[in-house]
Amino acid sequence: MGRSLSRGLVTVTTATVLLFIVSTMFASSSVSKGALLGMLPFAAVLAIVALGQTLVIQQGGIDLSVVGTVSIVVVITTRQAAGDDSKLLAAVALALAVAAAAGIVNGLLIGRLGLNAIVATLGTDTLLMSGVFAISGGIPRTTTDLMAEIGGGLTFGIPNSVYFAVVITAITTTVVKQTQAGRRFEAVGANPMAMFTTGMPIQRHRVGAYFWAQIHYWLGGVLLAGIVTEPTAFQGRAYLLPSVAAVVLGGTSLLGGKGNLVATAVAALFLTQLVQFALALGVGFASRTLVQAAALTVGIALYTIDWRSVLGRLRRSTSDDSGPSRIPVG
Amino acid sequence: MVDTAPQEHESIRTDALRIVLRDVTKRYGGVHALADASLEVAAGEVHALLGENGAGKSTLMNIASGSTEADEGTIEIDGNLIEGLNPSHATELGIAIVHQHPALLPDMTVAENISVAVPGSVLAERGDVRSTMREMLDDVGFTPHLEDRVEDLSIVERHLLELAKALVVKPAILILDEPTAPLDQESVDMLFDRIRRVAASGSSVIYITHRLAEVRVIADRVTVLRDGRVRGVSDVDQISDDDLLSLIVGRKLESTFPAKLDRTDLGEVLLAFDNVSGSGFSEISLSAHRGEIVGIAGIVGNGQSHLLRALAGLEDFSGVVQIGDSVLSARDLRAQSAYMPPDRHTEGLMMSLSVRENAAVSALERFSRGIFVSRKTENEIVSGELASLNTKSAGLEAPVTSLSGGNQQKVVMARALLSEPAIVVADEPTQGVDVGARSEIYGILRSVSAGGVPVVVASSDTLELEGLCDRVIVMSRGENVAELVGDDVTEEAIIHAAMRADGHKRTAAGASSRQPSTAMSRFIRGDYAPVAVLALLMIGLGTYIYTENDRYLSAFNTSSVMLLCAALGFISLGQTIALLLGGIDLSVGPLSGFLVVVGSFFITDEKSAFVWIVGFVLMGLCALAIGLTNGALIRFLKFTPVAATLAMFIALQGLSFVLRDSPGGIISRSVTDAITTKIERVPVVFVLFILAAVGMEYGLRRTAWGLRLRAVGSDEESARKIGVGVTSTLLAGYMAVSFFVFLGAIILLAQLGIGDPAQGEGFTLDTITAVVLGGTLLVGGRGTFIGTIFGAGLIVQVINGATFLGFSQARELLFQGILIVAAALVYSQIRGRRAVA
Repeated sequence: MGRSLSRGLVTVTTATVLLFIVSTMFASSSVSKGALLGMLPFAAVLAIVALGQTLVIQQGGIDLSVVGTVSIVVVITTRQAAGDDSKLLAAVALALAVAAAAGIVNGLLIGRLGLNAIVATLGTDTLLMSGVFAISGGIPRTTTDLMAEIGGGLTFGIPNSVYFAVVITAITTTVVKQTQAGRRFEAVGANPMAMFTTGMPIQRHRVGAYFWAQIHYWLGGVLLAGIVTEPTAFQGRAYLLPSVAAVVLGGTSLLGGKGNLVATAVAALFLTQLVQFALALGVGFASRTLVQAAALTVGIALYTIDWRSVLGRLRRSTSDDSGPSRIPVG
Repeated sequence: MVDTAPQEHESIRTDALRIVLRDVTKRYGGVHALADASLEVAAGEVHALLGENGAGKSTLMNIASGSTEADEGTIEIDGNLIEGLNPSHATELGIAIVHQHPALLPDMTVAENISVAVPGSVLAERGDVRSTMREMLDDVGFTPHLEDRVEDLSIVERHLLELAKALVVKPAILILDEPTAPLDQESVDMLFDRIRRVAASGSSVIYITHRLAEVRVIADRVTVLRDGRVRGVSDVDQISDDDLLSLIVGRKLESTFPAKLDRTDLGEVLLAFDNVSGSGFSEISLSAHRGEIVGIAGIVGNGQSHLLRALAGLEDFSGVVQIGDSVLSARDLRAQSAYMPPDRHTEGLMMSLSVRENAAVSALERFSRGIFVSRKTENEIVSGELASLNTKSAGLEAPVTSLSGGNQQKVVMARALLSEPAIVVADEPTQGVDVGARSEIYGILRSVSAGGVPVVVASSDTLELEGLCDRVIVMSRGENVAELVGDDVTEEAIIHAAMRADGHKRTAAGASSRQPSTAMSRFIRGDYAPVAVLALLMIGLGTYIYTENDRYLSAFNTSSVMLLCAALGFISLGQTIALLLGGIDLSVGPLSGFLVVVGSFFITDEKSAFVWIVGFVLMGLCALAIGLTNGALIRFLKFTPVAATLAMFIALQGLSFVLRDSPGGIISRSVTDAITTKIERVPVVFVLFILAAVGMEYGLRRTAWGLRLRAVGSDEESARKIGVGVTSTLLAGYMAVSFFVFLGAIILLAQLGIGDPAQGEGFTLDTITAVVLGGTLLVGGRGTFIGTIFGAGLIVQVINGATFLGFSQARELLFQGILIVAAALVYSQIRGRRAVA
């Protein structure tokens, strides 16, 4: 692993530790065993989904179809299995096929045909949501016992989903940071033109980002189907903004390049606990949302503002290009 | 420092001086681009500005035209001291500049490019604006149609357009920066004729060039620059070519070079080109021996960079490139050559990655066991390579941005060498590199060459080629005009060859060989083609639904569809502005909901009409404040539009719930009735929406702000050069986005009838869909408000029609999804720019 820890990881880990300290001091109910066991599975799912979003953002894109994929995976996993454990594997496999297909479509549209990421993933998202209605008619059903056990159960007192999140984070970050393909993937995201001049096939990496992102959403969706006892048909709607927010808070630039995958996962924990903390304080949805917006803004500001240039700009704020003509003609 | 260059006959009457630049100094970093340079140009004179690459000619002219500010020195025009010159002020003073790289907006038409750059008073002077435009273009032999898009013009046509823009203002001072570089002989004759005409009318012309022959033909006097200093001024007929050349050459040697190849015992031929031709260069042949460094010389922009890119396998070529015994195709070269690009920042380095990551990336298989990269091996080999290049950095993990230019270039070299290339191709390898590191880079290139890997170097610095290379070919207009070997490789010989070459292109690259555009082809590539497609689609869909269910056209349904369309439509007009600017506004949805919640505190039955008005005003002010915040985050804090408006999205959601945690505040019935007033079955607000869209469309095409908006979205840098205020345009743009959201929110207020904090969010994605369906591109600069009407209309029609057809929600969404993907695909294929490198 990197000898020097990334700025994103240090920042978001510090913030998370502080958050837990503050939670203990001011809202101890939010760190009770029950509260933590309730919070962690959702943090785990958000972490897995946000890892996928990180891959896309590393290539300078954004993936709105996370909503459709998570929703359709939940719906397929619950509907197709229809409470029957023996059908679970087939249902999960079908969900994987759908997610993979969505990833390939996104990848080709954006990586190969050069469509804008927002438009293309908005299109696939709409198609996926159409699938959600076609399968469920908008009516949810509960999952199978086995899936509930896998997704929602505990092992050694820790929710199973946490193990999944930890393992996936480890695998993804290892692949991205330590393999040849992963290293090239990051370099293509950082500067595709430079990688083009070195003779690399850059489209392959761009397409790959959308494909592997969907695989992450699939896993997140399957776990979610087990965690939520009565899932809605639109379970994915809660994951678009938080997944992007977790990526940004983790210090990965929306312009692409190096990804802070571990930091993304920690940021997912941070965001989820932030909500728990606010709930425990009895703060309404409003303040919770405002706190999230503030955290996001501060996060972006910390990472993306070139503070030196801002100071410079303030110093010569009088010489703005838009200023009225103030040139005395001699 | 006092220069002793000959000050030849001064045959100018000082009272007729049009422009005087006195003792101008400009430094970039520690380097003097200009040092105490002075220039005097009289009225009616054509004054040539001559000098080598990088002598400071363009810098001096950028100062004279206000796009660069001098550190020291003064500008006088007609005897008046001018302070703080900027591009728009320069235009007012009658200074027109023809840039070496035309400052044009690619997404806009020829006519619009003229309108945005040329003052309206000039165009309207002789009555009809369009015929004036046509005349000014005909005058320079520009044949394409006024409605052709600049993106589709050839290089020559773009230069002619740039020239026409400068000539039409009848400039008092006309500056031309190497105007003949891309032109064919016919166009050059035309250009010289126009220059003589401008001078005969009493205006001054400053003509930057590299070509002595042109100076003889066109100029009255000549000023020679070298190393940012004036080396001599003379009447053209009083000075010989040899004397001029002796003023141009003779820069001081700053760096030391490694010893050249010993030519007494030459090895075999290692690198051979046979008739290599490609875009921008033709018929280049060469044989270089083992150990020879090959230099590619010439005035910048004469095909050198294209030749090098072809050698790196990045551009196609015909002919044979042979290294040793093997003939290499473009594909082979792409895999096996190591290319050092001229611009490290855009094509060389991954600026956000570390030194190690940059150096290692093209040689990862060397450090790997299986698929995993061994960090230990990587560190050893990379640090060994960097050390052997004497790279100074704060360790392998230091960000590459923290290195000096010279050390950054060494990182690029380390990457090149680590990949064990078959050939090293270096374009401007020492640009922006300090003197000490230059010598080291020369030494490295020499040892690579000695090791049996061919090295090809292009440089605009002639002295560098003299010091480094064993064999130099001099290129002019894409052709090899001289080959110099061994002791013949001298600065003087290279400059003589480059500057004396005067043949102009027989056929200019890509000059009007294509079919002239027709009304049909312009329409298909124009902004209104999507409108026609959508209109047909809507009529078809409407007819189908009506045949299935005749209640579809009932008064009630048509009214409600129009009302829905107006709400979505107004907000989409705002989104169109954001997309035209090259940005996006994700916060429009929650903003519309938030504004309704704000309004719900004031516009209720308990309150007076005065309070209602206060409420509406407050809604508008909130909208403007949000828009300004978005714009400021993007412009000043450099947030990406997605990041800024995403944060705003979440914040507005929260703010709505701060104001109301559940629906409340029943909107006064008389207000909602007023808003939903209908004439016959048509809601008034729908009519207003259509009028607003048409008005915006007119503004976008015909008014100054509309052109400015599209100029900024199309090409920010060119927009700045022609005097558009980028900051004010962006801020005003995002405020306009929010203002249209405000208008949409008024209708939403009537539809909802209550302040509901959970409403509005969905509008964000719906507006993006509507705008994209309407044909506005997400890359900025191109789009239409009329298209947005139809985009919004189609969405509402699909949602509404689905209920009449008894469509399930699944089928409705399927239809929508296919529509979005198909529209994006079709539009991008017909006329989009490819985003992928």
